Amino acid sequence: MKPGAFEYRKATTVKDAVAWLHSDLNSKILAGGQSLVPVMNFRLAHPSLLVDINEIAALHQITFNADTVTLGALVRHQEMAESTEVRDRLPLLAVTARHIGHWAIRNRGTLGGSLAHADPASEWPAVMVALEAQIQVEGPDGARTIPASEFYLGYYTTELAADEIVTAVTISRTRHRLGFAEVARRPGDFALAGSIVEDFGDGQGSVTWFGVAGKPERVVLALPEEESARARSFQSALGKLSQLDDDRHRQQLAVTVAERAFQHSRLTGHEYLTFEGGQV
Amino acid sequence: MTEQAMRPQFMGARVKRVEDPRLLTGQARYVDDIEVPGMLEVAFVRSPHAAAKILSMDLEAARHAPGVRAVWTFEDCPVMLWQRDTYEVGQPVLAHDEVRYVGEPIVAIIAENRYLAEDAAELVTIRYETKTPVLDMVDAIAESPRRVHPEAQNVFFHKVYASKGFDEAFNAAEHHLSETFRTTRQTAVTLEPRCTAAMLDPASGRMTIYASTQSPHRVRSDMCELLGWDENQIRVIVPEVGGGFGMKANTYPEDIIVVSAAQKLRKPVKWVSDRTESLLSDVHARDDIHEAEVAFNSDGKIVGFRDHLMADGGAYPAYPFSGAVGETSLASRVLTGPYDIPYIATTIDCTYSNKTPLGAYRGVWGPIASFVQEGLIDRVARALGKDPADIRRINMIRPDQFPYRNSAGMVYDQGSYGESMEEALKLVDYKEFRRRQDTLRHEGRYVGIGISVFVEPTAMASSEAGSVGYESVFIRIEPTGKVTAAFGLGPTGQGHETTMAQLIADQVGVNFEDVVILHGDTDSAPFGGGTGGSRSGPIGGGAALVAGREMRARLVKLAAHLLEAGEEDIELGAGKAWVAGVPDRAMTIKELAEVAYTHVKRIPEGLPIGLELVARYQPKRAVSFSNGTHIAEVEVDVLSGLIRVLNYVVVNDCGRLINPMIVEGQIQGGVAQGIGSAFLESLRYDEHGQLVTTSLMDYLLPEATEVPRITTRHLVTPSEGEGGIKGMGEGSLIGAPAALVNAVSDALAPFGAMVRQLPVLPNDVLDWVNA
Amino acid sequence: MATKTPIRLTINHESYDVEVEPRWLLSDVIRHQLGLIGTHVGCEQGVCGACTILVDGKPERSCLVFAVQAEGADITTVEGLSTDPQHLTALQESFRDHHALQCGYCTSGMLLTATALLKKEPHPTEDAIREALSGNVCRCTGYQFIVDAILAVANGSKEVQE
Ligand SMILES: Cc1cc2nc3c(=O)[nH]c(=O)nc-3n(C[C@H](O)[C@H](O)[C@H](O)COP(=O)(O)OP(=O)(O)OC[C@H]3O[C@@H](n4cnc5c(N)ncnc54)[C@H](O)[C@@H]3O)c2cc1C
Ligand code: FES
Ligand code: FES
Repeated sequence: MKPGAFEYRKATTVKDAVAWLHSDLNSKILAGGQSLVPVMNFRLAHPSLLVDINEIAALHQITFNADTVTLGALVRHQEMAESTEVRDRLPLLAVTARHIGHWAIRNRGTLGGSLAHADPASEWPAVMVALEAQIQVEGPDGARTIPASEFYLGYYTTELAADEIVTAVTISRTRHRLGFAEVARRPGDFALAGSIVEDFGDGQGSVTWFGVAGKPERVVLALPEEESARARSFQSALGKLSQLDDDRHRQQLAVTVAERAFQHSRLTGHEYLTFEGGQV
Repeated sequence: MTEQAMRPQFMGARVKRVEDPRLLTGQARYVDDIEVPGMLEVAFVRSPHAAAKILSMDLEAARHAPGVRAVWTFEDCPVMLWQRDTYEVGQPVLAHDEVRYVGEPIVAIIAENRYLAEDAAELVTIRYETKTPVLDMVDAIAESPRRVHPEAQNVFFHKVYASKGFDEAFNAAEHHLSETFRTTRQTAVTLEPRCTAAMLDPASGRMTIYASTQSPHRVRSDMCELLGWDENQIRVIVPEVGGGFGMKANTYPEDIIVVSAAQKLRKPVKWVSDRTESLLSDVHARDDIHEAEVAFNSDGKIVGFRDHLMADGGAYPAYPFSGAVGETSLASRVLTGPYDIPYIATTIDCTYSNKTPLGAYRGVWGPIASFVQEGLIDRVARALGKDPADIRRINMIRPDQFPYRNSAGMVYDQGSYGESMEEALKLVDYKEFRRRQDTLRHEGRYVGIGISVFVEPTAMASSEAGSVGYESVFIRIEPTGKVTAAFGLGPTGQGHETTMAQLIADQVGVNFEDVVILHGDTDSAPFGGGTGGSRSGPIGGGAALVAGREMRARLVKLAAHLLEAGEEDIELGAGKAWVAGVPDRAMTIKELAEVAYTHVKRIPEGLPIGLELVARYQPKRAVSFSNGTHIAEVEVDVLSGLIRVLNYVVVNDCGRLINPMIVEGQIQGGVAQGIGSAFLESLRYDEHGQLVTTSLMDYLLPEATEVPRITTRHLVTPSEGEGGIKGMGEGSLIGAPAALVNAVSDALAPFGAMVRQLPVLPNDVLDWVNA
Repeated sequence: MATKTPIRLTINHESYDVEVEPRWLLSDVIRHQLGLIGTHVGCEQGVCGACTILVDGKPERSCLVFAVQAEGADITTVEGLSTDPQHLTALQESFRDHHALQCGYCTSGMLLTATALLKKEPHPTEDAIREALSGNVCRCTGYQFIVDAILAVANGSKEVQE
């Protein structure tokens, strides 16, 4: 389990990184390496050039504005779990981060890497779709913004061109209660099924799953007060997913985690006021 | 016991381990830490198919790749594991005409380092013609879809046994109940993967082999047998070993390649398995089916067991012992466990398949047999509407029945079967649990309790790792009065340097710190069987006691002569010999050693010069049984299918304890592995015979978050052997899976669930709940 | 043929100048180039935690980082705790007192993860300890004595916990 040979370059600007990516069709971005390096150790990936972006300072920023927050691609999972600002203002993200891998993985793995890697069982893509975030990417022709809902195409595939890089994600003010739940074999494992539920407060809401379909999709649905009615609502939302896993156990778990995410959104102390001054 | 040291000071004490400082400071050396200039490393090209004919191999590109020193196929090392006199098939160390399991080594690349070796491995192209793989053991037994080895029947081991009068008694019972139990392939997963290094000593021409093994002398013998070396030309060194659990008791094809390459290339050569190779090619275990039936009466008394035991041995019998045979044949003999079940009938079939060879994993037969035995007991209880603890009480072997011959002919020495269960029930407060269970069920929460009473045959006359029934110790008191003792054991974390020193210090009468235990070097250790089958404590420890006692006798004789006292008046302790009641008339052991080695004229007649001897110990009994009870409490989340262990109690009886701390460590580790066996670990093959669990992301091991705090109590029923010691390395893993899955069956009783497969996975739970 | 790059690594407050191929894993360089064999390798898949080291005080997998990436970082390996059996750190000592190791293969990673945890959170609960250790597999001990050893240090006592 040793990786094949490659050329290694350290970028300090996004421009350089993009130019290098563009120069070699078999190049790859190296962010946290927590997904890429295992795949290379298995010799399932043989990039000829690795562009290490860890030293691009701009990508490490977390910026809170009046009604948006912008998270740089290199924000590590553990930073998200520990940042007091994130905890106070976007607690959903802090809760989510704690479910990703183990401590040592979280210390190195990055938001951007996770979004670009597009593992259908991973948390960040689903969270960003649930929050209707905007993913900012930059390529040889300049920057563009892709809504998270359009970013994901299917298992490990995204809108991102081979010479584009994810630079940041922007989340706009949301007003609703959010809940998160996931079922994994062991803490730190990829989810068997996970879900983010948003309760609009008027009997409506949204649900976004991960681990149960080829890509995350946000589905708006009714959230009736009565539990079995809600289960039916989740069930029919599940049917709307374009790349639903046909495993019936997965589907059953999907309904279970959606309900748990809904319950989580109801817990006192877990009212996800995403920004100061926001309403429940 | 009277001949033992008068006041054991160290035996039974929680002595801190002497191994620890080097391990805690990162200074210990494992095989991969052995580096010599010019050392080459090996990577293997392994079969991607479960069954295929090899049509051609193109090795040219690999041969010319940078840093490559040799590219070997079977022609370069034409060694077969197994001569045809044991089994009808032999296993080529590198497959040549045909591949028979995914992961089977075909080409060895020997290069300057592992990176380069893997580069070259990618350049090898092999053309195959795939065959229909044999993957289902029941089909395989019926020779379908074909034979794995055209020259041999698929069933390579078949045995039938019935106790006298079985049919009549079995049929006469009031009730019968049957079940098919299945265990899924699992494997040991030592944290240190397998690895071997070998180099010729240019001066003497001898071969030095660094092996991560449980049995140094076994490795030496195997190399001699397979490669034609003489024993005195080979030195096997076993440095630190990062776990064994039975899996490192075998000799593997890769070991042969490494040694042979070191010989032919005249270069140091090393191979370190990576994790994917480990999961593909370390021996697997526990691929068994038991079609079992139990006959019982309305009062709960069990009359007999009938069982058809089947095991999928994989493509070849693992060398030098087949796990399939080990798992089934011993299971068939101890299937009735701690219960007085008068009749048994068993049929065993072990078959070949296109899977990785089956070998040993801690407990070998035990976790499977306990799972079947305790599963049947719980089924009887449920069928009769009785409490599972009561059914056990009714059938338990009573203390007055020892020595007890079970219906398969195994003789049990004294044990504390019923007592261990009662003690464990008290520790969990069984009645209170039942109340709590009831309340929680009304809240929609499903908790359950599972009991597993086990017997553990230890110190067997021959076991998988040790082909011998004895152990040897070479003991020497150095001229400075310090003690050195060498063993042929092969510890892999059990702390023999500590426990053996405890035993010897007591006997010889020196301080624990003054004893150094050597092991893992065939040049310094006497011939020994290695570590495995829970034999090191009772047999190795027994040998330590005998050696220490013989040395003590020598010291007493010498001291009596020099102190001018009768031998019966000499006392030994804390590095001194003195005349009883006259502490001033004393000599230190150092002074005695000076006489023994230097002022040899003062040695009395009849005593040899020097203070060294070899002692051997073979227990009189063919086997000594440890026993105990595990009780697990679990909660099953019926919506997600996840299972959490809430509480775990072990009451263990392994005779006299050498070091309770180490015993507890063994128990806790075994229970953790039991949690893996019961709920997490499974090696899965797809319909093409591809192993799909080739990383630790797929083969799930218990982590700190899965294993609860374990409460342990010791009972002490001494064995009749030296020191009253019984073995205990495997019991915890023997007892645990049964307790855990019985707890799941109990928790899900409202759904009519009864676990019949190891491990229980979330989907199984969902299926029961949905049914 | 791969070319080597000279790099400088700072490990346990000492600097090492080495030439590495870009593809060499930090775990391999630490072990085989620098001879710091206390860092173990159990999977190279990021799962087992045997290779855990501290990078700027935080646990990371040395098998999932290339050595070329580690320039400028402050790295601690087990040898950075204490290599002197007479003067073990309190945590090392506590591991010994509590029999928190058997084969010792996981031990370096356990010690480093626990060191970082106790620095961040001097008095962790048992659950917090288990969570922090969940990325470090031990196949021998069943974890209980490891948890006890860490708890004892956190509580400033070395008594055996029951
Ligand atoms: C044991 C273990 C457990 C894990 N458990 C989980 C889990 O439960 N949930 C989970 O979500 N993840 C888990 N992961 C994966 C981890 O979260 C990774 O950090 C993450 O998936 C990828 O981020 P990275 O920064 O490490 O990316 P890298 O590994 O560096 O890169 C991954 C891929 O994304 C590309 N890439 C990286 N950054 C960018 C960018 N800015 N722009 C464009 N492309 C980019 C790379 O070229 C590569 O193809 C686990 C990993 C391990 C080893
Ligand atoms: S070797 Fe790095 S995590 Fe296993
Ligand atoms: S002590 Fe062996 S793996 Fe932990």
